[in-house]
Amino acid sequence: MTLLTLIWLPLLAAPLIYLAGRLAGRAREMALLALLAAWVPFGLLVTARGNAAASFTYGAITLQWDGLALLLTLTALGLGTTVTLYSFWQMAAEPGEEKYYAMLTALIGTMIGLGCARDLFNLWLWFEAMAVTSYLLVAFYREQPASLEAGVKYLLQSAAGSVLVLLGIALVLAETGSLDLAPLPPESSFLLRLAGGLFFIGFGVKAALVPLHTWLPDAHAQAPSGISAMLSGVVIMAGLIALLRVLTLLAGDGPIWGWLLLGFAAANITLGNLLALRQTQVKRLLAFSSLAHMGYMLLGLGVAFLLGSRAGAEGSFFHLLSHALLKGAAFLAVGAFLTIFHTFTQDHRPLLISDLAGASHRFPLVALVLSVAVLGLGGLPPLVGFMSKWQILTASFASQNGWIIALVLLAALNSVLSLAYYTPLVNTMYRHKPAAAFAQATALPISMTLPLALLALAILLLGFWPGLVQGIVNNAAGALFP
Amino acid sequence: MPFWLIILTIVLPWSGAIIVWSVGDHRPQIQHRLALLFSGLAGLCALLLIPLTSDAAAIRLPFGAAAFGDLTFIPDSLGVLLAVIATVIGSLTVLFSNGYMQGEKSLGRYYALVLLFIGSMVGLVLSGSLFFLFLFWEMTALCSYALIAFHSDNPQAVRGGMTALLITQLGGVGLLAGVLAIYAWLGSFDIPTFLAEGGSLPGPVLAAVGFTFLLAAATKSAQFPFHTWLPGAMEAPTPVSALIHAATMVNAGVYLLVRFYPALAGIPGWTTAVILIGLITALMGSLMALTTYDLKRTLAYSTISQLGVMVVAVGVGGIFASQFHLASHALFKALLFLGAGAVIHQVGTRDMRQMGGLWRTMPLVANCFVIGAAALAGVPLLNGFWSKELILETALHNGYPWVYLTLVLTAGLTAAYAVRMVWWVFVGWRTEQFQLLDPGFQVAQFKGIGEALDPVTDSPAPATVHSGSPHPSPQFPFHAPLVILALGTLLSWLIAGEMGHWLAQTLPFHNLHVLPTLELVAEITLNEATLLALMVTAAGMVIWWWRGRILWVWYWFRPLRQAARHDFGFTWLNDRIVTDVKGFAAAWQLTQTGQLNWNMAGIVMALLVILLIIFNW
Repeated sequence: MTLLTLIWLPLLAAPLIYLAGRLAGRAREMALLALLAAWVPFGLLVTARGNAAASFTYGAITLQWDGLALLLTLTALGLGTTVTLYSFWQMAAEPGEEKYYAMLTALIGTMIGLGCARDLFNLWLWFEAMAVTSYLLVAFYREQPASLEAGVKYLLQSAAGSVLVLLGIALVLAETGSLDLAPLPPESSFLLRLAGGLFFIGFGVKAALVPLHTWLPDAHAQAPSGISAMLSGVVIMAGLIALLRVLTLLAGDGPIWGWLLLGFAAANITLGNLLALRQTQVKRLLAFSSLAHMGYMLLGLGVAFLLGSRAGAEGSFFHLLSHALLKGAAFLAVGAFLTIFHTFTQDHRPLLISDLAGASHRFPLVALVLSVAVLGLGGLPPLVGFMSKWQILTASFASQNGWIIALVLLAALNSVLSLAYYTPLVNTMYRHKPAAAFAQATALPISMTLPLALLALAILLLGFWPGLVQGIVNNAAGALFP
Repeated sequence: MPFWLIILTIVLPWSGAIIVWSVGDHRPQIQHRLALLFSGLAGLCALLLIPLTSDAAAIRLPFGAAAFGDLTFIPDSLGVLLAVIATVIGSLTVLFSNGYMQGEKSLGRYYALVLLFIGSMVGLVLSGSLFFLFLFWEMTALCSYALIAFHSDNPQAVRGGMTALLITQLGGVGLLAGVLAIYAWLGSFDIPTFLAEGGSLPGPVLAAVGFTFLLAAATKSAQFPFHTWLPGAMEAPTPVSALIHAATMVNAGVYLLVRFYPALAGIPGWTTAVILIGLITALMGSLMALTTYDLKRTLAYSTISQLGVMVVAVGVGGIFASQFHLASHALFKALLFLGAGAVIHQVGTRDMRQMGGLWRTMPLVANCFVIGAAALAGVPLLNGFWSKELILETALHNGYPWVYLTLVLTAGLTAAYAVRMVWWVFVGWRTEQFQLLDPGFQVAQFKGIGEALDPVTDSPAPATVHSGSPHPSPQFPFHAPLVILALGTLLSWLIAGEMGHWLAQTLPFHNLHVLPTLELVAEITLNEATLLALMVTAAGMVIWWWRGRILWVWYWFRPLRQAARHDFGFTWLNDRIVTDVKGFAAAWQLTQTGQLNWNMAGIVMALLVILLIIFNW
């Protein structure tokens, strides 16, 4: 029951939040309350791990709490709560604020459900529910043509992915007569392989595998900044986790799936970094960097699938957490600057790197958080991004396989390249002469700075003490590779 | 006891960084004092470690996962020596900053980064784990970048910072690959384990480790062909140049080579590669130092050259000689940089042609600077003389006469640029008059060109590099570090024998060849090798005085001077690589049309490709 409470609490809260917003203008308080309440069943589940309380069965349907579900829930709920608090001030003046909070809370609920799905039907159901809630959030600024364009692209491309997934599910059902996410016997059947390919592309659209990523830069750049953080930190990761769940189904079928993950890793890392290098818009830059970070995770996971070892997956799941913190902090800090910038310009033009000039003088904390976040994304110690990348690279190198070692070197070189686009952000913020928008801005409220400070603290804490989350990532890897 | 001292030496500067930053820039005096306090305490803790050295780990703590190994610190003499240099010279530069950085904005950021650097540098040299060695290595790169780009309004500074970061990070990839290879084949990050069992690695793997470590060392210590970042790093505030880009961080590459020498020396071709890289760098650096007019760049090229000499020392097997020279160099180069800082602070420019005659206005700085320059040139009885001669002698003794001869040539060039630098800054004449004394300017006039042309490029002299307006010279604390460093330069060689003995005690894998100070002195002074080197050094110094009479030489070497002036083309190469990478990225950008039709086509094509791969596997 605890599990059911955890999943349904945000989902049931969503309409109530909408009503509270429409009737009493209290959507944000309600949303925060609902998300804080969701931490109670989460805490119970974490402590009661392994008990019967951690699963729910109704007829043929089973929802099961395991390490991977814990990881996804922790990321979604953690970042979601932070984003909700952060949005208090930023979204206050927006028309449709209550829809924002309702959809955000529902989005979190669907991702928790996705993490617990144990059969293909549920997996697809929660995956679609997640997509539907996020479409509306991406196109939240419905008066803006660019925002609508981003929403339409996201909707259509995701829909194409969903069709492929559905086709894949049909093939699996036709071949095995079952929708269970239990490993299939290791024999290569034509239909199952075809299904695997369809899953790869279908979920790959959401997980932003290159070249399926084309919806992502627009969506990340046009969504409200809190949603950009959620998209980059959790939603694309939910796509990845869905893909991993179905791949365990087929894992017995030789090394092909591992090599495919590695192939996409190379594409994501290289293209993500090269495209980010050319960006002058801050949010698009961060969006492309998400591609690269997805690539680092694919590297560790590919090695794990190839060798059947946990180590690579542990590194990747650590990086999933670390990326959520880093990219969350980056998008939220940029969002704070963007709000100030838009208040100044009175329009919706994108924030350029040069617009950040001198931001550190008026907003030292936000500038420090953004610096910490992007330097962490660039993999510099003592920040968490360094530790998680290291864990991925160590596990991959340990394979002693020439191709994988070449890929590790490619990843490391790209990590260096990424500094070439992260550091200008930092340098610009620490100029002495502030840009006009920042010269006369008023101070930010604590509801906005507190989430930023908390994320930065977590980035530093895990950078110094990566052992804190090793239990969580071990269990998550254990869920895939028992 | 060593446990807590090591913890304190690292954690004190780090906590100082946080505290100084939180004090806020509206209370600069408190920031100055706190920074001094924390760096001074760290220096004290490092000094207390000297009698407590040991080759066993003083700290070994689990760090959460196998991928990170244990957090291990070993207070052996090699590490403690460099930790002492980092913290003591660190506190001296902080003391100097108390005067130099008066009235600067963002002091909190400045001191926080300096203190963060000091702690990281200590961690780097004391680490007993390859993983933490890499971690601290990267942290020093981060601090170095942030301090070079400290004046973020100056595009040169930002560019210098990014160049430094990217090049040292490229070397970081080398270190990463080496460390990961050791871990993949040996299953441990423990440094003593690698030193003991490195020979059991498969030959190609060990060779890969050796050469990736060499790549890392070459980038960090600004060796050929990766030296280009160090001159650009001179945009950092001068105390930072003294600390990071002369006395400590740039030594990390030499440290890496020395630390792993016992395991890597046996790799075929490795020592030859080390010697060649060091020699080319030493020679190139001294030529470039001879052709620049920027005081700080002269010192930067000089650092490049001297680091090359240390790398050569490692290559020819002179481990003790390299560390002796490293310590000497740290003292006299920090002295030279701080002296240069005092000069630049006073006159408000870095162009040596706009200085001159400063001996009269700032005699104390001039005297200290001359001591440093004399040590750099290898004038007898100063620390630089003994350590350099020891390297020369080791090269000859270990059977590398060609290395010896090239180093002697470098020594001559070094003496020439040291004299040139002192002459222009402290003796010569200011701007207009002294054009007559510079052969280059005479050349320009012989050719009948009216305006003052750059003697090497025949282009107008570059616009003055201003480092702010002239300041009144602050008094005491400001000059105390100069005096202390000058005394060190004069006297530190007296304990060379003891230092060697102390080093040999806790380095079980290195087999150091050390002598008591007296025997060392006798061995060096009674050697013909020293005599030749001294003669060439003297010739180098004299050449500067006769430069008017040997104009024809100036003409002869015109192409060489041109090349040296242009950094032998390496800056061009760097720019070229940057342009090409950007062009490559721009080409890929064309594939991102942003049109839904093409996006969908991408999905369909990816599906087809995947299916092709799957069914042809």
